Amino acid sequence: MTTTGPIVTMPDGLPGFEQCRRFIVVTSETLQPFTCLQSLDEPRPSFLALDPRQIVPDYAASLGDGDRARLEASDGDALLWLAFVCVDSEQATVNLRAPVTINARTMRGIQVIPSDSTYSTNHPLPLD
Amino acid sequence: MLVISRKSDEAIVIGDGIEIRVLRVGKDGVRLGITAPKDVAVHRQEIYEQVKAANRSAAAMPDDAAELAKRLRSRLTTTK
Repeated sequence: MTTTGPIVTMPDGLPGFEQCRRFIVVTSETLQPFTCLQSLDEPRPSFLALDPRQIVPDYAASLGDGDRARLEASDGDALLWLAFVCVDSEQATVNLRAPVTINARTMRGIQVIPSDSTYSTNHPLPLD
Repeated sequence: MLVISRKSDEAIVIGDGIEIRVLRVGKDGVRLGITAPKDVAVHRQEIYEQVKAANRSAAAMPDDAAELAKRLRSRLTTTK
């Protein structure tokens, strides 16, 4: 597993982990199609994630003007989308309600929390 | 906690550039208009708390996340 890479700055941290600002995106063949978003700041949480379009092919990502400003996004910037996976003893779910998006050009990321959304924070992960 | 009374169309100002204005006071609630710099995120508290709880449940140790990926990837039925 590759654990080095460019550092993604999340200026607001993540809800619940507001102190975590620096992250790396870990990809590898053994993780694929999952990705791991690892914080370099204490308590160094790791999040297993995947592109929401892997789960809902016509997933409609919603990005407001404020979101674009925080990402320092310009037209044409490639955005990486990551929805967090949560597994407990009962079920595996994915948070389609509030995905993380990362601007590959500026390496800034935010967790997008639209005020209205039809998606759930615990959408079932389709498993055999 | 600072407590301030406001009537309809009155506002409070927080720091440099954040204004919260009471637009309407109704039977079912108060409608607020929020003006804030673009780099300041504004959320309804219950939605923020919901995302916070979801993030805390999803957070894992790096090795655990990798182990989880190994277990799940063979069982995942996606369209891609």
